[in-house]
This record gives sequence, structure tokens and C-alpha cells, in this order.
Amino acid sequence: MSGAAPTAAGPGAAAGEILLDVRGLVKTYPGVEALRGVDFNVRAGEVHCLLGANGAGKSTLIKCVSGVVEPTAGEILVGGEPLPERDTGAALERGVATIYQELDLVEDLSVAQNIFLGHEPRRGPLLDLGRMRSEARDLLARLGHDKIDPRTPLAALRPAARQAVSIARALSYEVRVLIMDEPSAILDAGEVETLFEVVRRLTAEGVGVVYITHRLDEIKRIGDRVTVLADGATAADGIAADTATDELVWLMVGRKVERLYPERPRAAGEVLLEVRGVRALPAVRGVSFEVRAGEVLGIGGLVGSGRSELLRAICGLDPREAGEVTVAGKRLPPNRPERAIAAGLGLAPEDRKSQGLLLDWSLTKNVSLADLGRFSHGLLDVRGEREAVREQLRSLQTVPDDPDRSARELSGGNQQKVVLGRWLLRECRVLLLDEPTRGVDIPSKAEIYRIVTELAGRGLGVVVVSSELEELAGICTRVLVMREGEIVAELDGAKTSERELLAHAVVPTAGPDLIEEVA
Amino acid sequence: MSYAIALRNRFGALQFQEYALALVVIGLFVAGAILKPDTFPTWDNVRNMLTQASVIGVLAVGMTFVIATSGIDLSVGSMVAAAGVFAGTMAEPSGGTLIFILAALAFAVLLGTVNATAITFGRVVPFIATLAMLSVARGLALIFNDKLPVGLLDLNGGSFGDPSPFSLLWFGTGKIFGIPVSVWIFLGVVVAGWVVLNRTRYGRHVVAVGGNREAARIAGVPVRRVIFSVYVLSGLLAGLATVLLCARLGSASPVSGELYELDAIGAVVIGGTSLAGGRATMVGTFLGVLTFALIFSLMTQLDLSTEIQQVTKGAIVLGAVLIQRPEGRY
Repeated sequence: MSGAAPTAAGPGAAAGEILLDVRGLVKTYPGVEALRGVDFNVRAGEVHCLLGANGAGKSTLIKCVSGVVEPTAGEILVGGEPLPERDTGAALERGVATIYQELDLVEDLSVAQNIFLGHEPRRGPLLDLGRMRSEARDLLARLGHDKIDPRTPLAALRPAARQAVSIARALSYEVRVLIMDEPSAILDAGEVETLFEVVRRLTAEGVGVVYITHRLDEIKRIGDRVTVLADGATAADGIAADTATDELVWLMVGRKVERLYPERPRAAGEVLLEVRGVRALPAVRGVSFEVRAGEVLGIGGLVGSGRSELLRAICGLDPREAGEVTVAGKRLPPNRPERAIAAGLGLAPEDRKSQGLLLDWSLTKNVSLADLGRFSHGLLDVRGEREAVREQLRSLQTVPDDPDRSARELSGGNQQKVVLGRWLLRECRVLLLDEPTRGVDIPSKAEIYRIVTELAGRGLGVVVVSSELEELAGICTRVLVMREGEIVAELDGAKTSERELLAHAVVPTAGPDLIEEVA
Repeated sequence: MSYAIALRNRFGALQFQEYALALVVIGLFVAGAILKPDTFPTWDNVRNMLTQASVIGVLAVGMTFVIATSGIDLSVGSMVAAAGVFAGTMAEPSGGTLIFILAALAFAVLLGTVNATAITFGRVVPFIATLAMLSVARGLALIFNDKLPVGLLDLNGGSFGDPSPFSLLWFGTGKIFGIPVSVWIFLGVVVAGWVVLNRTRYGRHVVAVGGNREAARIAGVPVRRVIFSVYVLSGLLAGLATVLLCARLGSASPVSGELYELDAIGAVVIGGTSLAGGRATMVGTFLGVLTFALIFSLMTQLDLSTEIQQVTKGAIVLGAVLIQRPEGRY
């Protein structure tokens, strides 16, 4: 698939047996090919890093391997044997445990209870609390975290300690392959060291670790081999972890892209949205910027950098603790989304299905929801409503454009158009788009880019939040980069590149040398 | 799967259920006519059924709004009793019909507002908030007149007789064009409920809040205000149901209205309104009320005991929920 041919295991790789072997894995969702033939294996005692841009298929791969979703085609061999179908517990029983970014722990239970949740040691019909505690203590000691008391309620622990509990829980299941999804994302520098120490202890015991990260510098420090995913396929299969950083970045993003982006709009008009010192802790720590009529402003950054939370705080969906938001000269109250909408703000949320749409409702009702006042003269003019919606759907070239269809029947790209249609009907002035192309196939992406550009051309101010830094570099007039709740860079869209954005988005330790190597 | 959804959508899932329920209503009537040809298909019997159904019917309309927001109001039966005894004690010595009606409505609205406040500002789940009110309101009903019922016949000169227009008993037993006033009121509330639910911005907001609260909020629906309003509305309609009930019985009893919440919720649910919210049908609620009324009229005429009627009622509600099983999994 790429220039870098799969090489033999890197110098650091242990020559252990292959514990997990993934061959030609394909997973399709309606309208989206999430995985298009992925090869990947994990040996005993190694740390195998998994790298890829957002949407490259890392999550889908993990979900397939841990048995949460069923692959469409391909093989997953655990210890040489295929994983049985339709059995979510099978992977865990065979020693493949996953630690997700959102730790699946119960805050109200104690550390020991969390570790043994679902397989508590028992004496007859009763819980064997003594054994539970002592075994929990042993597991934590194995990880070098013997300071954590098994009786502490989980809620009292810091993120790093919680993560250790989560790992101890995995160990309580005789784990052979441990998959860690961005384990360092919630940790500070010191805590990352502790995490690495834990990982080294595990590999010394012969556990194979799959380590997913966005921080390129970590790969060299902890990894033995790297697999790079790009667009659902393996761009590099198990190459040495000391591969040059710019080579890795190139593998991540250097795929050929068709002419996807329309002519870039230029900001010319007056300031429509002004954001001053907005704070909504812990995610947003003082952000200021402005959006002009006719401009597409990108906000890039890694997942968890506070971008979605910033949009929600701007709209008043999550209350602002400090800062001012002004739309077309009107100052917005800190926690009243309906006032923000009245002032001309419109948000297309990150998750269309759970936040954007009423899936069982007709397209008519979905589009008109934010602007029923227009059709309400005492009673609703349902015929006028339906016609106006039909017109809106047609102008966005939604398929189907039948206003009576339910939103559930539409593909991701068309659902996004329905959400856009809602705000266009409302004639909003500033459109905030959160991951507008997530889960959308390439042709629909191109259409959404065209629509966004057209809207800016009509004088709207458009804010696009995206994890796909490439698309920000492709369509935006200006791009802001967020990291840890703050804006760390402002770049001219026409001059910047995905690599430059990525360099600003990753943590500072990786920043400087990455720029040197890339630029 | 997608074909099934498309098909369902083409016909409209709700309309399909409404047609099916209309057939059930007709079937029950035909069954009654066959089993009891002398007494069942008579104008008197139909009038009786509708009169009795009107109290539950008015409550069910309010309940439809509450359930559409994915809430529940368990307190309507107790509110009917409390509002009745309260209004009775207010009106009894010297007051008139108007005072009784205003007092009943005002008191029920007050109780509904307490529910609404606890749910929206206190963030108590509706089930618990209204369960508490079920107990509180029943207790108040017993306290207000020392556990005794309040006679209301004085408001009509001391007897049932021929009620004069706009006296309290006229609302229970009076007729316009041969149809009882309470039935007119019931029908009027159903029609108004249909219009509000389907043809106003408010109704659309109510269903949106139940369907997807976060999406509704992002689209600018004042979620909290909407949720607040449905419990006040449910209280108001409980007040109206109080008037109809007391007018028919000629008294306000502190033990009246027991398990009315079950009848109202049952009628709404067999009508096809989703307990998970996001899907509401006033036509279905109306047909659900009629279905219950027909079944119990028929069972009474077949000399089946009230115990058996209760078992049947519960079984029907359970069956209705099973049929419209939501997509959620366990």
C-alpha cells in the first residue's frame, strides 16, 4: 500500500511467539468502509504501537479484535486459533484485554470492587472480600502501584491511578495481549513515566502490548514496532519503532487525495462572532478569537484538546465560567442556548445521531425544529413547512429529498445536510460545525466542503472543528490549533499544511523536533 | 430491515397502529352486540360508557403530553381526589358552582406545579416526584374534610333531578343535543389536545424533548420550560376531570380517583404513544380510552367481577407495551 515495505521486526522487538494475528481484516458499515484489509500481529513481550490519523480505522480495528464488533471479512487469530463469532466475551477469555480511553470503571465502587467487577472471588454464595482485597493488592503491586489501597473509592483517585486500576482489572483476567487506547492522553508528563514503567513490567512478563497514541515521540520511547493505518488500510505493517518521525507522519497522511477542496473563501466582512476569554473548565481554559463574515475558520487539535467543549460553551450548552461571546454585536448570556440561536448562532454537533437529529422523525420536522416560529401563526402551517423544507433539502442536494422520509434512513453525509438545512432555514449568521465530515464517505465530504465554502461566500461566518487536520488545511481561511484547552497557534489556511498543524497539535515535547524534521 | 423501516414510514407507524386500534374498538363493539344484543348496542349504554370514560379520557389527554416528553405522572388520581375535596369544602357552605370549578382547577394546577418544580428545578425523576405527590395529594384529600366526603347536591337545590344549565351537576348529567355535557367536554379536550400536539410549535417541542432532549436543546427548544409545562397541564386537566367526576357523583370523596393513573397511562400506552418519548398520538389515546371503556362495559354486562376486570386491565397494558417494544436492548 505504501512506499515503506513491511520490514522484519525491529531491533528492539522480542522474538516472542505471535499472540495475536490479524489478516486481511475488512469492516464495512452502511456507506463507509472503515477497514479495507488490515494486517497486524502482536508478539509476546513486545510493545506494538498503532498509529493513524483520526478516522484511519484504529478504533474499528480494536473493536474487532476485542470482539465488540464483528468484522465483515478477514481473520483474527488469538494464539493461533480464530476468534469465535458473535461472542463478545471470547476475546477476553482468550487473554485479549482492552483499556479504552474512557475508562470503564464505576466511580462509586472501591478499587478492589472495580478490579473484580463481574468476576468477584466467592466463597460459596458469598463474596470473599478478604481474598478480593489481597488479590487486588497483589495485582497493583505487580504494576508498581502498591500505594493504592484496594478499599479506596475509585472517585478519590487521580486519572493516572484510575488507569492503573483499569490495567489491574485487565491483569485479573490472565491477560496475554493488552490493548491500550491512547493511555497517555489523560496523563501529565510525570504520570506518563509511571505508565511506561507499568508497560515495561508487563512486557517483561511476556505480555504483548498494543499501544495506540498520537504522540509520535512516545513511539520511540516505549515501542518496539509500529503499524500505521491510513484510510482503513495498513500503510506500514510492523516496521521498527525507531523509524524516522517524518517517515511516520508521511505514512499517516501522505496518501494521494483527489482534488477534494473547492476554492478557498476569503474573509472580508465585518466581525460576526467574537469570543473573548471563554473558560469552561476543565476542557476550555481561556479562548479568544473572532470570525468574520465570509470566512471559514478552522479549529484543529487532537481529540480531547477541548474543541467540542469550546463550541458548546460558545452556544451556552455548557455554562461558561468566564468570558464573553458576542454575535453580530449582541452579547450572549452564559447558559441559554435558545438565546444564542436567536442571535444567529447554529451548531451542527459532533454526534449527529445522538445530538443532531431525532432519528425517527421525518426530515420535515428535523429541519424545521429550530425555526418553527416561521410557520407558526397561532397554528402551524404544516403545508408551508413541508414545502420550505423540501426546497431546502433540494438546494443542498440531499438524497433522498422527500421531506416525509425519516432521518434514520439517510446516510451520514445526508444526515449532515439535514442538520445544515435546519440552520440555513433558520438563516443563521454563524454556523459552528463540529466534525462535519466524521463518518462520511469521500464524495459526500467533497459535497460538504463545497456547501461550507458556498455558505461563506453568501456571507456567513463558518467555524469548522475537525480532527482531520488535512481538511482544515484544505478548506479554511484561517486555522486555529487547540491544545489542552487553549489556542496555541493561528495559521493562514492557504499556507499551512497538515504536518504543520499536527506539529502544533501534539504535546510540546514532540513539537520542536517534529517541526525540524518535517519542515 | 431498511425496507421494513421504509415501508413502515411510508404508511406511518403511528397511523398503522391507529387503524389497528380502531378495528379493535369496532370489533369489541360488535362482540358486545353479539353477546348482549339487548343491552349492549343501545344508545343508553353507549352514552353511559362515554360518560364514564370522560373522566379518564381528560386525564389521558394530559398524560399523553407528559409521556411524550418521556415523563410520567402517577399523581393524577390522587390529585382528582384532593382537588375535589378542597373545592367541595370551599364551595359547600355558601359558594356556587363557579367557585367549586375555579377552586378545583386552581388546586390541581398548584399540585401539578409542585410536580413540575420538583422535576425541572429539583431534578427529581418524574416517577419519584409524582409517586410522592400520589401520596401527598391522597393525604390532603383525607385531611381537608376529616376523611369524609363532601356532598355537592346543594349546588343543584339538594337533589340530582333535572340540573339547571351551568350548575355543577349539569356538567355531570346534563345533556346537549342528547349527548351528556361531560362527553362534549371530553371530546373538546381531545380535539384541543390533538391540535396543540400536532399543529402548534409547543406540541412539536413537547415531542422533540421526549425524542432526543440533547438534540432538542441544541436546536433551541427551551427544554426545561417544556417539561415544566406538561406537568402543570396534567394538573389542569386533573382539575377538569375532578369537575366531571364530582358533577356526576354529586359529591367529592377523598377516596375517589384511586388507580385512575393506571387507566390513563394504560389508555395512552395502548394508543401507541411511546413510553420512551418522541412518539405521541392523540387519536391513539382517544381510541385507547374507548377500548378500555368498551372492555369494562362488556365485562360488567357479562357479570365478570371487578377482580377479573383488574387482572384484564393490567394484562392489556402489559400486552400493549410488549407489542410496541422499543428498539432498546437489555
